[in-house]
Amino acid sequence: MAEAAKTAVYLCAGCGIGEAVSIEALEAVATGESKASSCRRHDHLCDDAGVATIQADIDSGAAERIVIAACSERVNADRFRFDGTPPIRCDLRERVAWSQPPGAEDTQMLAADYVRMALAEAEKSAPPSGQADPGTSKTILVVGGGVSGLTAALESARAGYQVMLVERASDLGGHGAKWSKRMPHRPPYRLPQDNDIGALIAAVTAEPRITVHTRSRVVSTAGGPGRFLVTLDSGGTTIEETLGAIVVATGWRPYDATKLGHLGYGASPDVVTGVELETMLGAGELACKSDGRRPAAVAFIQCAGSRDPDHLPYCSSICCGVSIKQALMIRERVPDSSVYIIHDELRTPGTAEAFYRAAQAAGVIFMKGKVSAVGADLTVTVEDVLLGETVAMAGLDLVVLATGMMPNATAPEAEAIAPQPAPDIDPLAPILAAGATVPEPGSEDASEDDSGPEIGSILNLQYRQGPHLPILADGFADSHFLCFPYETRRSGIYTCGPVRRPMDMAESATDATGAALKAIQAIEAAAAGTALHPRGGDLSFPRINLDPCTKCRRCTVECPFGAIDESDDDYPVVEVARCRRCGTCMGACPVRTISFENYSVEMVSAMIKAVEVPDEFAEKPRVLVLACRNDAIPALDMAGISGTRYSPFARVVPVRCLGSVSALWISDALSTGYDGVILMGCKAGDDYQCHFVKGSAITQERMGKIAETLKSMMLEEERVVTHEVAIADARRAPELIDSFLDTIAEIGPNPFKGF
Amino acid sequence: MAGAETATYDLGFAKWVAGNISGADKLSMCMQCGMCSGSCPIGTQMDHGPRKLIMMIRAGMRDAVLSANTLWNCTQCYNCTVRCPRGIPVTEILQGLATVAVAEGHAGGEPTARFSEAFWWSLAKFGRTDERLVTSRFYFSAGLAEGVRKSRENLAIALRMIKARRMHLGAPHKIKRRKNLQAILAKAREIEARGAGEGD
Ligand code: SF4
Ligand code: SF4
Ligand code: SF4
Repeated sequence: MAEAAKTAVYLCAGCGIGEAVSIEALEAVATGESKASSCRRHDHLCDDAGVATIQADIDSGAAERIVIAACSERVNADRFRFDGTPPIRCDLRERVAWSQPPGAEDTQMLAADYVRMALAEAEKSAPPSGQADPGTSKTILVVGGGVSGLTAALESARAGYQVMLVERASDLGGHGAKWSKRMPHRPPYRLPQDNDIGALIAAVTAEPRITVHTRSRVVSTAGGPGRFLVTLDSGGTTIEETLGAIVVATGWRPYDATKLGHLGYGASPDVVTGVELETMLGAGELACKSDGRRPAAVAFIQCAGSRDPDHLPYCSSICCGVSIKQALMIRERVPDSSVYIIHDELRTPGTAEAFYRAAQAAGVIFMKGKVSAVGADLTVTVEDVLLGETVAMAGLDLVVLATGMMPNATAPEAEAIAPQPAPDIDPLAPILAAGATVPEPGSEDASEDDSGPEIGSILNLQYRQGPHLPILADGFADSHFLCFPYETRRSGIYTCGPVRRPMDMAESATDATGAALKAIQAIEAAAAGTALHPRGGDLSFPRINLDPCTKCRRCTVECPFGAIDESDDDYPVVEVARCRRCGTCMGACPVRTISFENYSVEMVSAMIKAVEVPDEFAEKPRVLVLACRNDAIPALDMAGISGTRYSPFARVVPVRCLGSVSALWISDALSTGYDGVILMGCKAGDDYQCHFVKGSAITQERMGKIAETLKSMMLEEERVVTHEVAIADARRAPELIDSFLDTIAEIGPNPFKGF
Repeated sequence: MAGAETATYDLGFAKWVAGNISGADKLSMCMQCGMCSGSCPIGTQMDHGPRKLIMMIRAGMRDAVLSANTLWNCTQCYNCTVRCPRGIPVTEILQGLATVAVAEGHAGGEPTARFSEAFWWSLAKFGRTDERLVTSRFYFSAGLAEGVRKSRENLAIALRMIKARRMHLGAPHKIKRRKNLQAILAKAREIEARGAGEGD
C-alpha cells in the first residue's frame, strides 16, 4: 500500500530545534537511508508560509503522506490539519530539543531515530478511510422518567433532538414526585423548598419532540450508536425503534429496611424509613402510625445501613440533607416537638451547611454517636461520643431511619435472557471490576405499579459480553467519577443520576444535562463515523482479517466496551460504532490479525526496528518506552516544556492505550538489541485512570506472563517494567526513565545486541 | 459497648432549659467545637467543661447538669462567650443554671454556692459585706465542727489583718436607709416571682 505513496518530510528548525540538532544531517537521514521522496526544512513550520508549503505539496501531488518533524502531536493539531492527508507527527521539540543538551552527539542520534521511526510509521500506515455505513438515527432514548430522565429528555429536546422517554410506572416523576418538599437548591439555602417536579413533568409532556412511553420497558437493545435497535414492551404492545444514543436514568431504590432489624425496623410501626416519613408528611397532619398521636419526640438515625460493611459500604450523600429537611418540617408542624438527629459524621457540604444551621436555629438537636439498638418501645441506645457515654433515649414517639440509596443499575440475577453464553465467557466477568459485587436487589425493587414484563436488565443488551451495563463497585454503573462521569463501558449509552452514584434532585438535574450532551455527541460522532471519547474524531477502526483467526475469543472478552460480537460461525465481528479504538483487541490477538489502517502491530514493530542500535562497545544503551497517549505522553511533553533533562537513550513510541501493546513489540525490541522496555500506562483498578477503563489493567495482567518469555530468552526479568503514570507526573516520568537506565547499567547490555 | 452501663435521661430537659434559662434558646446552635472548654481558664477544675455540659443538657442529663461544679467553678471571665463561633452566651447560661441548681437544692455541698449565700446574706442585711460575718457564716455553713476547725485555722490570719487595720472590730458596717434597700429587693423578688425578665 505505502509502496507507491510519496512521503514528504517537513523539518522545523524553530522553537530551538535548529539549535539543538543539525537539520542537514536529519535531511540526509530522511531522504537517504529512510527513502522519503522529499524533505523540506522551514524555520517556523507552523506559520502561514510553512503550512502553505505543505498544502502546496499536497495539492501538487508531491506529498501523499506527510511527516511533520517539529513539535509534539499534542500541539498545533489544528495548524497541521490537511483534509485527507493526516500528518505523521515526529516530535523533535518536547522530546528532543527541550529535554536534551543542544549539539550533543546523543541528541542528534535521538532526533535521527525519531525521524526514522516516523518514516517507518508512514510506510506501514495509511490514512483511515472511514466507515462505509455509519448509523444515522438522531433520536435519543431516555430510560427512566424521574428527575434525571425528565431533565435529560427535556434538555435533549431543547437542543433539537427527538427523544423517546420510557418509564416503567404509569406516571412520570419517579421517587421525586413523592416528596412534598425538597432540599433547598436556591439561595438562601435555608428552608425546604416546594417540590417543582410538577412543572418539569408538564414541560416534558408539552414538548413536541418528546414521545413518552409509560408502563414500558426496554426488552432488548442491539446495534450501537447511531443505530441502536431497541425493542420496547409498552403496556403489552411491542414497539421497535432505531435510536441514536441512550441515556439511562433508572435512578435508585431505598435500601431494604427489613435488613435493619437491629434498628427496630419491623418491631414497631413507629420506626419508619425516611421514604416512609415522606409519605406521612405528604399526607398532611403528621401522626404516628401506631395510634395516630402527634409525635412530640422524634429521633432520626443517620447512616441506617449505610457506610456499614454489613449493609451498604458507601455514603448515599443525600440522607443528611433529607433528615434535616424532614426535621425542619416536623419542627414546623409540631412546634413543641423535640427533634434529634443522631449522626456519626454529618455531611453537609457546600450550601447544605446553611441548611444545617437553619435546623440548629430551629431547635433541632444534633447528637454525634453510634446507635446500637432501637427497642420495640422506641428506646434508642446510642453511644454518644461527645459525652463518652452510652445513653438510652426513652420516650420517643417516632424513630426515623435514614436509609441509603441503591442504584437501579442492573439485575444480574436475570441471567436466563442472556444470549446463549459460550462456556468460555462468563457474562459477568467482563462487567465487574475485580472484587466488585452486585448487591442483591431489595424485595421492594418491583414498585407497586410495575406493569412491564419482569426482565431484570435495564437495556437487555444483545451484546456478546452480556445484557448488563458494566458495574464498577457497589452496584453502580461503571463510569469515571471525575474524568468521564457519564460514559459507561457501553459506547453511546450514558448514565446520569443516582444510577451512577448517589445524588439529590438538584445534582441529578445537572447530571442529566451532562448526559444529554454526551448522547448528542455520540449521535453526531456516529453519523460522522468517528470514534467517541477519548479518541473523538478518529476515523480508524479495527479490521480483522479472519483467515488466521482461530476463534479464540480473546478480543471479544478483552474489549473493555463490549464492541465485539460473534457471527453465526463464531468469528469476531466489530460493531464499529461501539468501538472506542483503544486497540486492546489488537494487543490481545495472539495471531495478530487485528489492525487499524493507521495503527498496527506491524507498524509499531517497524518503528521499533527503524531505530539504529549501537553495538555494546559504544556504551550507548537503548530503551524502548511504550507510552500511553492519554497520560504518559502529556507527562513527558510537560517534562520537555519545563526543560527537564532525561536520558537520551530512550526511544518513545506513543501507544493508544497500554491495552494495545502487543507482546511482539517487546520481543522485537529485545531481539533488535534494545536493552530494556518500559511500559507507561494509566492507573488500573477500581480507582482507574485508564481512559479505556480496562486497557491498562489487562496489559499489566498480560505483562505478568512476560517474565516467563524473558526467562526462555535467557534475559533478566528487570528488562521489562510497567509503570502507572498520571498526567501530572511530569517530574516522575523522566525519573522513571533515568532510573531504568541505571538498572540497565547494573545488569549490563542486552546480550542479543549485534545479532 | 460491651459492659458499659446505659443511663436513661430526660428528653424534655433540653426543651425546658431552652425555654427557661436566659440565652439557652441558642443551645441548639452549639456545634460541639470545644472552643469554650479550650478557652476556659478554670476548665481543668470542672467536672465537665462548658462544651460537654451543653451536650449533657441536650442529652437530657438533668441531675448531672444541675449538680455539676461547672456552674460554681466558672469565674465568669466570659472567655467562652467571647470566643464561641456560634454566638452562644455560655457564661449567662451557666449562671442561669446555677440559679436553678440552688432553687432545686442541687447546690448544697458546693463551697461556691455556700459562699454566695453568705455573701448575699450580708449584702441583703447590711447593704455591705462584712468580712468577719461572711467568712464565719461560710465556714459554719459546712457544719459546726468544720466551722470551728476552719475558724481556728484562720485565726492567726484574722489577727494579723486586724493589726494591719484590714479588718475591724465592733458592729458591722451598714449603709444608710437600709429600708430602701429592702424595698428594692422585695420588688425584685416580686418581679422574679412573676416570671418576667430583667428590665421589666
Ligand atoms: S479497539 Fe478497543 S473498543 Fe474497539 S473493538 Fe478493539 S478493544 Fe474493543
Ligand atoms: S465564663 Fe466561666 S465557663 Fe466561660 S470561660 Fe470563663 S470561667 Fe470558663
Ligand atoms: S464554643 Fe460555642 S459552639 Fe463551640 S462547643 Fe462551646 S458553646 Fe458549643
